[in-house]
Amino acid sequence: MNAKANKNHVTSIEPAYYQAITEAIRKEAAKILKDETVVGVVGYLPGRRKGTASPALVTTVEEAEKLIFSPACVNNLSVYLTKAKKGVLKQGKVGIVAKGCDMRALAGLMTESQLQREDLFIIGVVCPGVYGFGVERTGTLTDANIARKCRECTVHMPEGADVAAGTHTELADLTPEEAQELARIEAMPQAERWAFWKEHFSRCIRCMACRQVCPFCYCEQCLCDKNRPQAVENSPRPAGNMAWHLVRAMHLAGRCGGCAECERVCPMDIPLNLLNRRMAQELKELYDFEAGLTPVDKGPLNEYKENDDQSFIK
Amino acid sequence: MHGEHIKHDFEPKIVAFVCTWCTYAGADLAGTSRMQYPPNVRVLKFPCTGRIDPVFILRAFQKGADGVLVSGCHPGDCHYMAGNFHARRRFAAFRALLDFVGVDLNRLQFSWVSAAEGGKWVDVVTELTERVRAMGPMPEFKELEHEEQWSTFAEATVDKSGAINTPELKEAYDSIG
Amino acid sequence: MPQIITEQNLRNLIDLLVKEAKLVVGPKLSGSVVLYEPLTAGADLTLDALPRRSSKELFFPICEDILSYKRENGAMKVKDVDRSKFPEAVLIGAPPCDAGSPAILDAVMSWDYKDEFYLERRRKSTIVGIACTKGDDACFCRAVGLAPDAEAGSDLFLTPLKDGSYACNAVTEKGQALVAAHQNLFAEGAGAEPKPFVDQAVAKLDLVKIKKWLEEHFENPLWEKIADICVGCGACAFICPACHCFDINDEGSTDDGVRRKHWDACGFAKFTNHASGHNPRDVQNKRYRNRIMHKFKYYDDKFGKTLCTGCGRCIRACPVGIDIAEILETINTKQD
Repeated sequence: MNAKANKNHVTSIEPAYYQAITEAIRKEAAKILKDETVVGVVGYLPGRRKGTASPALVTTVEEAEKLIFSPACVNNLSVYLTKAKKGVLKQGKVGIVAKGCDMRALAGLMTESQLQREDLFIIGVVCPGVYGFGVERTGTLTDANIARKCRECTVHMPEGADVAAGTHTELADLTPEEAQELARIEAMPQAERWAFWKEHFSRCIRCMACRQVCPFCYCEQCLCDKNRPQAVENSPRPAGNMAWHLVRAMHLAGRCGGCAECERVCPMDIPLNLLNRRMAQELKELYDFEAGLTPVDKGPLNEYKENDDQSFIK
Repeated sequence: MHGEHIKHDFEPKIVAFVCTWCTYAGADLAGTSRMQYPPNVRVLKFPCTGRIDPVFILRAFQKGADGVLVSGCHPGDCHYMAGNFHARRRFAAFRALLDFVGVDLNRLQFSWVSAAEGGKWVDVVTELTERVRAMGPMPEFKELEHEEQWSTFAEATVDKSGAINTPELKEAYDSIG
Repeated sequence: MPQIITEQNLRNLIDLLVKEAKLVVGPKLSGSVVLYEPLTAGADLTLDALPRRSSKELFFPICEDILSYKRENGAMKVKDVDRSKFPEAVLIGAPPCDAGSPAILDAVMSWDYKDEFYLERRRKSTIVGIACTKGDDACFCRAVGLAPDAEAGSDLFLTPLKDGSYACNAVTEKGQALVAAHQNLFAEGAGAEPKPFVDQAVAKLDLVKIKKWLEEHFENPLWEKIADICVGCGACAFICPACHCFDINDEGSTDDGVRRKHWDACGFAKFTNHASGHNPRDVQNKRYRNRIMHKFKYYDDKFGKTLCTGCGRCIRACPVGIDIAEILETINTKQD
């Protein structure tokens, strides 16, 4: 038996698993609303279409009874605690339903002093994975419809949450498609890599969905919205698109929690998480930094060591 | 060596982002010492390498640079204590990103040049200029600059109205600077 | 006399039009997504998926130059756009929810200001629409008064038949001219049975009632309820066949640059931000309210049309699952 012997590896995650988590979330949410531990709970409600879900801020016990968790609960809800939505926190402690990947974002936001742990009640979900984009939404999660990021998930357990819903279950034998794609691109000749990204970025329409769903893109004034002076062209042309995506990747380097929301929401299917992953990989190699579930004092690009590598500097 | 000038087919445009305390002073020293170095380099002065945003480098490539140099104080010598330490990490990451999207890192050079190192400035600039000269013009970002979405029809932009001739407009445009 | 065209001849028609130096635009696989793009051969045409972006970009490009300027010898020289150079275009394979969009947008583009860029492109293009035999649970064209076989906006309308060919109806003179110029590709006859249409989940909406409710409920808790989760991106507006807001940006230096017009979206916080810093739509639900109001009230007030074709793209693309059809159904059933 290997080290994973204590985990449950299966070929499909049935609706009953998600139903059990749903029950646990409802119970907990109702409890903390009732005893006024929190002023609201950010969770998921079912959508009109079969097998869809959408984020919701619930403030009453009745609404809490309708919360769900299903493979359609793809959103990283921590985005609702920053940016324009940060008003909700001003009213008091907030409950939030968080998967492992979402908790990395929460930890990162705490590192950056955007959130205080004591302001949150985290209902952690032991998440076996969620749907990818455009897949069949049958209610059962399988190798065929799991999101690409979930194939290599290392944070099934929401460690550090106030409560955790679910028991550790994973799909067996998932191929690490994203790691393979990353390796494929890195092995390309330089000109091919340029062509690959140029083709993808040229399709970008600058709808800014990648920025808007990112918990870490919380600047009040985005550099890329400015036009006097203009650092990045505002117009959705290939030149500005390339600059925007490079700036975005750079601004997230050492901060990104790897939830891959940017990639999921891209209406043009640009594989944005590859950029984030490549940067995470580099920061791991250079400075042994990995986004984790606990806040740290400083991110890798906000600190330094006197003996950092400088072999590239003359 | 004064006045010695070799004609090349290709003169690369090199943009140098330097900190004012060390490298700018070093470049100044090279100048006041009458040292010769390629005139291809355009120097932009910043308070500190810590102020040099990666977006400046992108912008330089987009607007026609064939090579970019970023240079500042040696580690430990930063006027602001740690600006160059932070820059060192940031640029290490940025290099990895540029490499990942297919930019040849030979076009991008980082260096530490102190106020006393006029000679090193000459060496760094000369080496980068000659290396980039051998590589030829940098096409990637410049080509991208002229690419349009298929629906744009930029070729329809033509010289139709000619120079602005109403006095009001002329005055307005001229007042821009 | 009814006419039919085989699928092969439809592709041959594209080849011919390309040879005639027309800009032929149709659904085409571009990387992993289907988009409306210039077709270089009939074989490029992909009719099995709704393109991610609508066909509006043929008339209303994602980004276009308005003018360029350059200082020469001390004088500012301005270059204009010679719109006569816009190519003659044929849009092929647009379903009614896309083909129908110019029929809606023409009104605003030729209203108090005549948008010469849009109108010139529109004048020079022929739209070959195609009845839609696909669809998913996000589609709601019937609910907003269109239908999978609605001919509005199309110059030539094709209906897929069970034997793989298409019944043709030349709706306008442009359509008739297209058929007449390539008569040998079309055959006379009624053809086989048409392919059946897909049922839609959203029932027909009472747009008059919805408009009336919107008129009376500019302030309503509903807006917070549905749109507090909106994250303020422009995905819904950019891929929408009917959204037509744009921004104008000068890009370049004071001596040399281009004035560009490109898509904008009312979901962006910057959309109504004043130079003073004041923003009349200060929170996201007011921005989202504008999206609904513009589509189902304001546009109707001005032009008597609904600014929505029910293509469902915004429902599929919304990062947070906001479902415009669900919202309309909610309003439709309101009693107050």
